[in-house]
Amino acid sequence: MQEPEIQGSSYNDVYQGMKERNVKDSTDKLAAAHVTIAGAGGLGSNIAIALTRIGVGHLTLIDFDSVELSNLNRQQFKLSQVGMPKVVALKQNLQEFNPFIEIKTHQVKITHDNVKELFEDADIICEAFDNPAAKAMLLDAASEFYPDKPIVMGTGMAGVHSSNTITTKHPRKNLYIAGDGVTMGAEGLMAPRVMIAAGHEANMITRLILGNTEI
Amino acid sequence: MVMVNGEQETGVVGETILDFLKKREAPIENIVVEQNGKIIHRADFDTTKISENDKLELISFVGGG
Repeated sequence: MQEPEIQGSSYNDVYQGMKERNVKDSTDKLAAAHVTIAGAGGLGSNIAIALTRIGVGHLTLIDFDSVELSNLNRQQFKLSQVGMPKVVALKQNLQEFNPFIEIKTHQVKITHDNVKELFEDADIICEAFDNPAAKAMLLDAASEFYPDKPIVMGTGMAGVHSSNTITTKHPRKNLYIAGDGVTMGAEGLMAPRVMIAAGHEANMITRLILGNTEI
Repeated sequence: MVMVNGEQETGVVGETILDFLKKREAPIENIVVEQNGKIIHRADFDTTKISENDKLELISFVGGG
């Protein structure tokens, strides 16, 4: 039987080639990990792309919303995807970047009542909401149902303030919070600073997958 | 003595978490409360009281993402 090919190269050559610049001994651990991302907006879409590129093997994307024009200044969607459910559009984009990832999607609003079910198979919970009450709800519910799963969150990435006020904090066991902690979305949210916070979350998730619990 | 986010707070012993949060500026729904290292679930805010020597950490979230 002929080996399957991707754009003229063998499946295995493509897989290995895409991992060539990954950090030594990271690829297998990343491929085995499952990260569930709550929210597919400015934070979630950027975090998902970073994790997809490095080969985190199992991603679950959750968002109730559809792509709007106002999302495009910071969220990783295309003009042609306006009107599509965000999780569908994001999955489509992720598969173009890396076809070796198993991606599940749920177009649903996350509430205290469905957290237990939605995050059951996650190794790491990633909070990437816009709404502050939703952020607090998820931490509350995750600490109730899954106290032993790490949760990586974001708060404060608005405006065009200094990049260097965005940090990752580790206020309690299994809780990591990236952001400046103070700037609010009403000020305006733009790709560069949102991507810094998303980068913080994605890097913390990567560190956790590779066994490092320090910030 | 009650400590809130590392600072001394007076006149709060005996209050419920809910009453205590109502006096503060940030909206209650944006806050997660840790009492002596344990997260107090939202449903228990109105029945959980603050005791002498408690350490409270208020984890507040702002919008944007």
